[in-house]
Amino acid sequence: MEKTEARWVEVFKVSLPLCLSYVPIGLACGILLHAAGFNPLLTLLVSVLVFSGGAQFLIASMLTTNTPMQTIVIMLFFLELRYALLGSSLSQYIKGTSKKFLYFFAVSLNDENYAVNYLKFATDKSWTPKDALAVEHWSLLFWSVANFIGSLVGNLLPMENYLDIVDFALTAMFIYMIVMQIRNKLTILVSFISGVIAIVALVTLKSTMGLIVATLLASFIGFMIEHNIVKKGEAKGNFWLKKIKPKASRKVISKSGEK
Amino acid sequence: MQYSSMDHFILIICSMIAAFIPRFLPLKFFSTRKIPEWFNEWMKYVPVSLFTALVVRDLFVNTKTYTFVGLEYMAKLLAAIIVIVVAYRSRSMGLSVLFGLVAVAILATFLTV
Repeated sequence: MEKTEARWVEVFKVSLPLCLSYVPIGLACGILLHAAGFNPLLTLLVSVLVFSGGAQFLIASMLTTNTPMQTIVIMLFFLELRYALLGSSLSQYIKGTSKKFLYFFAVSLNDENYAVNYLKFATDKSWTPKDALAVEHWSLLFWSVANFIGSLVGNLLPMENYLDIVDFALTAMFIYMIVMQIRNKLTILVSFISGVIAIVALVTLKSTMGLIVATLLASFIGFMIEHNIVKKGEAKGNFWLKKIKPKASRKVISKSGEK
Repeated sequence: MQYSSMDHFILIICSMIAAFIPRFLPLKFFSTRKIPEWFNEWMKYVPVSLFTALVVRDLFVNTKTYTFVGLEYMAKLLAAIIVIVVAYRSRSMGLSVLFGLVAVAILATFLTV
């Protein structure tokens, strides 16, 4: 039945859950950017050009604390470094595309459309790089429009007292992404280790660098633990590597289009 | 100090470049080469580590002074638990964010955010 649908409709359906979930976060981000002094047009521009929830929330919060511009850009670079890792894991699927394509693909790559595309590439043989780019563009459209409207809302309504609350949208988004990443007890352990290292590193380094330290250390520890278990040949039925199955039904999972 | 719209524009352009480089170079580099297996195995744990670090910063660290705040942000902590449950049951990002925002808004009326 689905085969008779136009390809773009099919791709749009895959992107839709992601696009809809961008609406509340995009609105929140637009409100915060407005509070940081961005006018609606600049908010639209940053949403299209940077297109990263984390980065835009970071810009908003650092502008309100009068952080120097070069510090903002450096912090942003570190935050965005994770895309180097996401990008390299996706690169095997978009081999043989043109440099121009890679350029467009990289510009609109972000955490969530990465998750959708990675899953599609891994499970659906007919998924092409062009489809993946279309998912990116749909999510970009919803994200930037939501940001623009959020900025207008911030213009019309006094939101100053609610910014701490709106800011939680990003935290909730990251929590969701952690939950989606949980495959086995080892992932939970890695998450816990990362949390502990993050607190220690942030407090001692007094900068966002703590996040990078925690990420690199915790992921490496996870890798080493798994490597050792596999090397000993105990991978099967191992306490740490046993798969955790979500409670939600299969139908719900495939409908959401994500992991 | 107040930034002008022109400053903001320059900031956006610099941010775009800062965001673009880490997204493009590895894609470019690895699209013509094979990724080593161990590298992939390691990268598997990067997203979960980074997201946890970011969440922990939001929940347990004062980002102005970079001090550990313990359980001070009670409203956020309770809302975070709600988000975990909603995310686990629904597998939907939109629902998770929506429940999180509503929960934190209600909890903030009688707890510190």
